[in-house]
Amino acid sequence: MDKPEILSANGLYHIYESKAEDGNVVALRGLHVKVYEGEAVAVVGPSGSGKSTLLKSLGGLMKPSAGLVSLSGRRITRLTGSELVELRQQTVSFIFQDANLLSHLNALDNVAQPLRHQGVLPHIARQKAQTLLDKLGMGDRAKGKPEQLSGGEQQRVAIARALITNPRLILADEPTGALDPITSREVLELFARLHKEEDVAFLLVTHNREVASFCDRSLELRDGRFVAQHGTDVDIGNLSDTRELIIDDTGTVTLPPDILLNIGGPGRFELPEIDRDLLRMERVNEDKIDVGVKTELTLSKTCPACFHDYGDSDDQLCPDCGSSRPMIQI
Amino acid sequence: MSEEKTTPIDPITGKKIKEISEEVDLNEYNEEEVKSKDINGDGLNGDSLITEPTLIQKLSSVPDNLIMAAKSAWIGRERGLAVFAGVFLASLVITTVVAYGVGLSQAFLQFSLEEEIFDVKMDFSEDPGDNVTGRTNDSVQWESVCDELANMEEFSDCGLVFGRQGVRVDGFFDQDFIIPQPLNVANATGITGDWGNVSWAYPEASNSGPPINDGRILRFYGEGIWDGEFAERHSKRLIYGSWPSSADAEANRSVVLPSQIASAAGVSINDTIDILTFTYVTDYLSFEDSVAGRTLENCAGEEVVEQSGFSFCRVEMTVTNLKVSAVYKEGGAGNPTLLFNPVMISESVLNDSQRLILMDNDHGYLGLTVDRNLLPTTSTADATEWLEELKKDVEGQNYTNSGISVEYNDLISGTITFLNIFLGIIQVFDYVLMIPIVILSFSVLIYGLVLSLEQRKKEISIQRVIGGTEKTLSRIVLLELIVISMFAWFFGYIIAMLATPDLVAAVGFMEFDRDSEFRVNPVLGIVTIIFIIVVTVGVSWLIGRSRTKEFLSIEIDEGVRKVAKVKEQRTWLHLLVFVIGLLAALESFIQSNNSDSDGLVGNFIFDALLLLFGPFMLWIGGALILGRIGAAGPRILGLILGWTAALKDIKRGLRGSGSSESVNRLAVVMILTLSVVTLAAIQGVTGSLVDERTASAQVGADMQVQFDSPVTEEVARAEMMLAIDRVGSQEISNISAMTSVGDIFTSPSGEGALIRTWVLFDDHEKTLIWDNQAIPGDDQDTVIDLWSTGGFTVGEEALDVLDLERKNSLARNGFPDLVMGGGRTIEYTEYSFGGISEDFTPIIIETVTETDIEFIGVHEWVPGLGGTEAAQSIVIGESAYRELVGDDNADNYESNRWFFEFCDETDNNCAEALRNLNVEITNGEGVSSADDWSNAHKEVENSGGLIFGTPGLLSLQFLVAALASVASAFVFLSLVLSQRKKELAIFQAIGASPNQVVRIVLFEIMSIIVVSMVLGIALGIALAQAFSGLFGIFSYIFQIFLGTSTPIDRNLVWPWGRVILVNIMVFVAVIAALLFTTRRALKSDLAVVLKGE
Repeated sequence: MDKPEILSANGLYHIYESKAEDGNVVALRGLHVKVYEGEAVAVVGPSGSGKSTLLKSLGGLMKPSAGLVSLSGRRITRLTGSELVELRQQTVSFIFQDANLLSHLNALDNVAQPLRHQGVLPHIARQKAQTLLDKLGMGDRAKGKPEQLSGGEQQRVAIARALITNPRLILADEPTGALDPITSREVLELFARLHKEEDVAFLLVTHNREVASFCDRSLELRDGRFVAQHGTDVDIGNLSDTRELIIDDTGTVTLPPDILLNIGGPGRFELPEIDRDLLRMERVNEDKIDVGVKTELTLSKTCPACFHDYGDSDDQLCPDCGSSRPMIQI
Repeated sequence: MSEEKTTPIDPITGKKIKEISEEVDLNEYNEEEVKSKDINGDGLNGDSLITEPTLIQKLSSVPDNLIMAAKSAWIGRERGLAVFAGVFLASLVITTVVAYGVGLSQAFLQFSLEEEIFDVKMDFSEDPGDNVTGRTNDSVQWESVCDELANMEEFSDCGLVFGRQGVRVDGFFDQDFIIPQPLNVANATGITGDWGNVSWAYPEASNSGPPINDGRILRFYGEGIWDGEFAERHSKRLIYGSWPSSADAEANRSVVLPSQIASAAGVSINDTIDILTFTYVTDYLSFEDSVAGRTLENCAGEEVVEQSGFSFCRVEMTVTNLKVSAVYKEGGAGNPTLLFNPVMISESVLNDSQRLILMDNDHGYLGLTVDRNLLPTTSTADATEWLEELKKDVEGQNYTNSGISVEYNDLISGTITFLNIFLGIIQVFDYVLMIPIVILSFSVLIYGLVLSLEQRKKEISIQRVIGGTEKTLSRIVLLELIVISMFAWFFGYIIAMLATPDLVAAVGFMEFDRDSEFRVNPVLGIVTIIFIIVVTVGVSWLIGRSRTKEFLSIEIDEGVRKVAKVKEQRTWLHLLVFVIGLLAALESFIQSNNSDSDGLVGNFIFDALLLLFGPFMLWIGGALILGRIGAAGPRILGLILGWTAALKDIKRGLRGSGSSESVNRLAVVMILTLSVVTLAAIQGVTGSLVDERTASAQVGADMQVQFDSPVTEEVARAEMMLAIDRVGSQEISNISAMTSVGDIFTSPSGEGALIRTWVLFDDHEKTLIWDNQAIPGDDQDTVIDLWSTGGFTVGEEALDVLDLERKNSLARNGFPDLVMGGGRTIEYTEYSFGGISEDFTPIIIETVTETDIEFIGVHEWVPGLGGTEAAQSIVIGESAYRELVGDDNADNYESNRWFFEFCDETDNNCAEALRNLNVEITNGEGVSSADDWSNAHKEVENSGGLIFGTPGLLSLQFLVAALASVASAFVFLSLVLSQRKKELAIFQAIGASPNQVVRIVLFEIMSIIVVSMVLGIALGIALAQAFSGLFGIFSYIFQIFLGTSTPIDRNLVWPWGRVILVNIMVFVAVIAALLFTTRRALKSDLAVVLKGE
């Protein structure tokens, strides 16, 4: 059975006002995305590629500068503030890298809080929160204050809080980023269970290979646009192996830096072979001569941050410290 | 997760192409989904959760919400502190001022009731005349009404009185109020006592009330008055003898005399009065009738015109063979209905025909006492209401078989009416005084609120993410605010209620001892309490709502507009307000230093407006403008101290500090509070001093005694020692010092003009309380020295007579040794009898003596002597006096005015002893009157003191402002520092040592505090000056309404000790807050602080 879209975004732009010399900062530039009911999608990409802005825009936490976002079939860009909150309350929940619990409330009240925002009576909200915490194995910690809980427990509480509104979609920003590998595996298992049993859709921003592989597909975000898609076998360390380049409705295609490097940098290309499902590009002849004579950019041999020796690998990110690998001129 | 990987996927949408099989209606799907979904299996589906709760359900969740809010308030108590402090202070101040007003009115009510012996004067409701019903001329029947009234629990005593005629009016300002006349004493004779010396005129009566009568009045008391409650009340005033029972009064033919009469006649207990003649009134003629030429027909007596212009026919009547049973001390003017300080005689001395005549002429009335335990003293309004009910009750009935109907003249509520006028003025002034403190509290509240909202940024963004709407979020914030505010209000209320009795007692002008009979128990009505809650919590809620709304809307718009619009500061407005305020201070300064000058603003109305509003403008405008300078403290001190080693290595860290808004707020709040502290200290101390100086100028010493004829020092001393013995007080057992001021006439050498010359005997300064303002220059020791060595001072108007100019005075020239051309020779002529000449005319020998005196300067007054006389007199010392009159005359100097020094007059025990001594010495032989410092001081504070002093309220203001400054320093510092946590962490991260970080913070905050302190004190001084102008306006109003004034200039006194003490306290609080917060900031995990957004 095919499922309807729970989330779709079309031509999403977001510009931050800035007083810097080069003007405003464009965080999202014409981004398209669709997420279906019950689907798990990972977003991968280097830092600064606009992931947080994307999540906020998609989740209706802020209005994008331009473009359309539909949540559960309703266009949120035209909704008033209160309508938007209502829609969000019924549809979306967020999970962050830090659990972001309310420090003055105990676990139970933290979980119950979203329902109270919807006007549910306190005892009903608490009852439901308790059931949910029990289910997540946190029942006996319900009275604990956030600072008394471990990182994993906090994240479970945050997940319970995200689930209590019966969301159709969970937007998660590095949900395991602050957790140790074992705990993060547990959290992922929890996600997997929810995904399977409750049919909740996920949109996860992650740097983590395990997280990405839990998802049905991964979208590669670069400079505010999805440039490629990867399957479940995505290797965060080496995206080039699983990459499926995206050409969107407007015909725009963006080449990730490693591909650009491999084809010898920017320039003009001829298209000698255009067919259905096939496109071949060849660099214009006079351009070819120039390349390599004047400038040659190659990937740096060592990581500038931790001095990791990349050796012959084509990694874009340092496996030791996660810094992006710079290009250097020879 | 293990979907088929081989499924072809649409590259753009990610849709699994294979799975597109059917179209599903999105909406229907969603609806169904929401309804049916129940992931938890708890039987609660989504639908039931989101159903709108009923009102009862909503209400049932209120306690839960409140508990949550309280929890959150407790967790976030640091940010809540400022809000708490603001509401707490506002509640404290408003409650105190209101409770103070209530307490004051209670105290005044009890105090003035103490003055009243009669609570009710019961008259017939109808004027006398032919065919009038409801009256009787049978005094026995009239007296029997008392028996019926005694059944009412409200009345505790009742008795027949012959005295003032029936009063049948509704208020004081009715001319019928001045027509009914009392019985007046015409004369008395007796074997003992010098009755010829007694004046029966009593002008004080008309001066203290409406012009009803200015003679000494007389009352005949029936047996009801001699016994019971009336006996108790009368007994309290007696100084000699005891109040006789009705039987004794009848048997002894008792008369009770006012002390003035007894003293003038020189009679004491058991002396007799052979014949006493008094007058009653049979008829009257109005002023208009007199002018129209009508006369009283058939007047059997004498026609007397009173001050009011009414003529009365007064007929004489005599009683004989009276015996003095007691002497009482005259009280002050109370309610004028019954007139003041009568001669009281037993009614039994009248014969039946006399009674009949008095009854016929409406002179008989019933006096009643109300059971004052039943009278509500909670407020004057409650008392009035209770009395009105009683009056209705009593007047609604007929009494005795003949159906007597009565007019109920309530004396208590009359007193209350006077009180309310008086209290009204006081309270308006009190409220004005308290305005700065209330504004201060609310500004602490506003700033605290803004800071606390900024602190909650993170929490609010979390709440938004989990579905908080603007409505639910502002509800959370406001609920917490209200919980904090309610607690703060409650604490403020409790503390204010506990403090008020002490405060009322501390105000001084009533001097209620805690254990005195006056119980001040200020209970606020429910309406008042609600009003205070609305004002404090309500304002907090209002401010909170607007701020929260603003804050939330910025937060929610965040994504769209990253750069928040900075509110443009209205510098020009602030500057304008500040400048107008400064103008007021300057105006007040000019006017107080040069009384002739009109100041900058000539127009009276504009001047008054400037002086009324200027102080507040100065305060607020000044704080806003100077706050910016205060916030720039680090830069200012950095420039000054920048080169020192201490700052060298942290200089870079300081760059840019002090520019943030919260730092600016810290400076503004510091300046606001510290300037009020300074203001309250200066004005409070100044006010108390002005009161004391006024008393000193009036009395001149601890006590001033006027004798009937000039007496020598020995006689005066002996008389005073007798009085001291009679009092037998521990406090005063001897005379520490005494002196007189000699009074002779001299003339400039060779000229005829006589000048009044006052002589200051050596050591006069041990007795006389001199004031810097009274003498030329401001060095008392020098001037006193110069007097004793041949110097003299001149009153303003005597300058011309002696052909002197101010510029030639020694005082003007800084007391140089050389003579400045102000030397004068005065001569004194003594006339003595030199026998009889041949033509039988007496030979008068004129002996002229001269002395050279040196012009010291112009005096304003001499302690204890009138200011107007002082202006026409010169003052010389004893040495010059001896040269003029010779040693013999000087040694045997006689005066009818002597000054005494006993003890420290500002001490409470001494003051009480002085008052007791005053009573005794007044009754001494040959003493015509005595003034003591304590009574004079009390009187000054009583009437003008509220304006010139108001020590209680100003000390409250001082305390609260000091509290506010310490609290706000602590609170704001904590907030500012925790906001800067990240900045401090960055400093550490880039390699600053903890020591350097502490130095940066210390220097930065300390420089803001220090600069703000200096500015705050400076502003406070200007403010004190400006408030002097405001007080001037009020003292003008007081002069109009209450007729009080003082010769003392309101020269400001600078109590540096107190101001510095508060500043040190603020400093300590700041250091405590700094250590506390900096340490915590340094301890916290750098990584966590830096990571968190």
